[in-house]
Amino acid sequence: MSGRFAARNKTAIAGYAHSPVRRHAPRPLGALAVDTARQAIADAGLEPGQVDGIVTGALFPTAGSHAVEDGISTVTADWMAEHLGTDPRYVAGFQGIGQIPGAVALAVNAIASGAADHVLMYRALHNPPGRYHANPLREVGGQQQWTAPQGFFGPLAMIALPYNEYLQRYGATRDAMAAVSVEARKNGARIPWSYWYKQPLTAREYLAAPTIADPVRRYDCDIPVDGVAAFVLTSAERARDLPHRPVYVTGYASGVPATRRLPLHWPLDDIMSGGAATARRLWEHAGLGPGEVDLPQVYDGFSPFVWFWLEALGLCPAGEAHRFVADGRIDSDSPGGLPVLSGGGALGNGRMHGVPQMLECYLQLSGRAGPRQRERAAVAVACHSSPHYGGAVAYSSENFLAAAGGALRTHQKGPACGTSHTPAMLVCRGQAGRGRRAVRRAEPG
Amino acid sequence: MTALRPTALRPTTQRPAAPRPLPVPDRDSAPFWAAAARHVLTVARCSRCRSYAVPPGQTCPHCHSTEPGFAFEPVSGHGTVRSWTVLRQSFLPGFDADLPFTLVDVELAEQAGLRLIGRLLDGPEAPLRLGAPVRAAFEDVAPGVSVPAFVLASAG
Repeated sequence: MSGRFAARNKTAIAGYAHSPVRRHAPRPLGALAVDTARQAIADAGLEPGQVDGIVTGALFPTAGSHAVEDGISTVTADWMAEHLGTDPRYVAGFQGIGQIPGAVALAVNAIASGAADHVLMYRALHNPPGRYHANPLREVGGQQQWTAPQGFFGPLAMIALPYNEYLQRYGATRDAMAAVSVEARKNGARIPWSYWYKQPLTAREYLAAPTIADPVRRYDCDIPVDGVAAFVLTSAERARDLPHRPVYVTGYASGVPATRRLPLHWPLDDIMSGGAATARRLWEHAGLGPGEVDLPQVYDGFSPFVWFWLEALGLCPAGEAHRFVADGRIDSDSPGGLPVLSGGGALGNGRMHGVPQMLECYLQLSGRAGPRQRERAAVAVACHSSPHYGGAVAYSSENFLAAAGGALRTHQKGPACGTSHTPAMLVCRGQAGRGRRAVRRAEPG
Repeated sequence: MTALRPTALRPTTQRPAAPRPLPVPDRDSAPFWAAAARHVLTVARCSRCRSYAVPPGQTCPHCHSTEPGFAFEPVSGHGTVRSWTVLRQSFLPGFDADLPFTLVDVELAEQAGLRLIGRLLDGPEAPLRLGAPVRAAFEDVAPGVSVPAFVLASAG
């Protein structure tokens, strides 16, 4: 498949930087974001003045009563543009849910259209003092009048309802979720900037932790943190002249809310039907199928999203993700395991939203994962948020279309790719991957 | 419909000082809250296509009219449980004395996919299953203010 995305593999990630992830950073979020942005620009082999595009998604994802203050609790693209001290041509923010795929799409579109040559894409997340979601609401109007007086409020109840709906519908047990949090923390414990560095979680600890909103336990939730990640994207052609091996953006898709619901009411059927549509758009856009993805980094801000994404992407049949994870099929250290949380995810890094998924795709496909480098990492997908509201981006380590044309150079750096792949090889490798994993797969439509 | 008054179930001395968040009716929602105060559950209904909508808004989610003329009409209050959760922490004031409490995600009998969320007033140990029948109930949370909730109904 060639995909219907005209800019397929024509843009690439050229560099990155990541701040330490802390419960509370010792410095204001804005300054941390500017420092991280400058590090990412330097990592890409560029000067700040060469970065002429700035994009982000600046949502402050809390139900709490905290004031939203630019540069303190969020860092908008305008704030960054003002403080970075450059003269960008294109500055934009993604407004929806699924900020990482949304912001990557802004960057890709700007580069492909020529609106900008080098785009800084970043995400800055803040953990305010006090309880993250607590809100001393006394009177409530607007949309929340339909839910808050009734006691339905905040993301815990939001995720608990479809999670329990899944358990009841498929006869799953919540103890099966232990494999998700344990896998995320195992991998996060290996990442030096992670909040959970050197702190893996045992299944016993997972099971012993308190329940917050049945069936959600404490370690089903990512921990709120201060942290910033930044990436530099540019055209595939320019990226080949920069220090690091490019990681090409092969396609993207964002979810589209289809059914009107009460605020934060995400019924399982909405998540899965919307998620199937998101996945279908992604595969059509990227010209890929689930069997061709070496590294499907699924979102895990709440652990049930891992089950939902596994099924939405077609990596396991509907209703079987709970067995899939409980059987060790997502153990990234196992030869037959599907590395869906090899970057630690949000559960293993802290509440960095979809950053850990995107970063793992970049590090593995660019050959920069260090001791965590995986042998097989040529095609990856980074998911964010819920399958129906969020989105996903597909990445490739090789510019397949260019390789087929034979006109462009291929990078030989990194262990993942000793020879240039052609589209035919991609298909063969994908089929081999299916056999190797023996993954039973639902039709992605 | 059943009225369960929390103050009748628990001594008032155990109630927290902070009250529950109260709705602020607006021009559109005022009929809903006025009916709730009389312990009547209503749902917005499109004047064009007659479909129910939760929540209502500027357009009808079914016929997409920009002039849906939503009117809150009484419904049976009967529905079935699609999911539930037992909250062990509340992020809002006024619920601490009720913890742990159950929220139910209810599909109303009137229309497929028409779902409301409310407290189940039978307590956290109430036997629940997918499809369990419930009916609307009300909590009187302040003078003249009642909030819709649910109680288990006998099957059939």
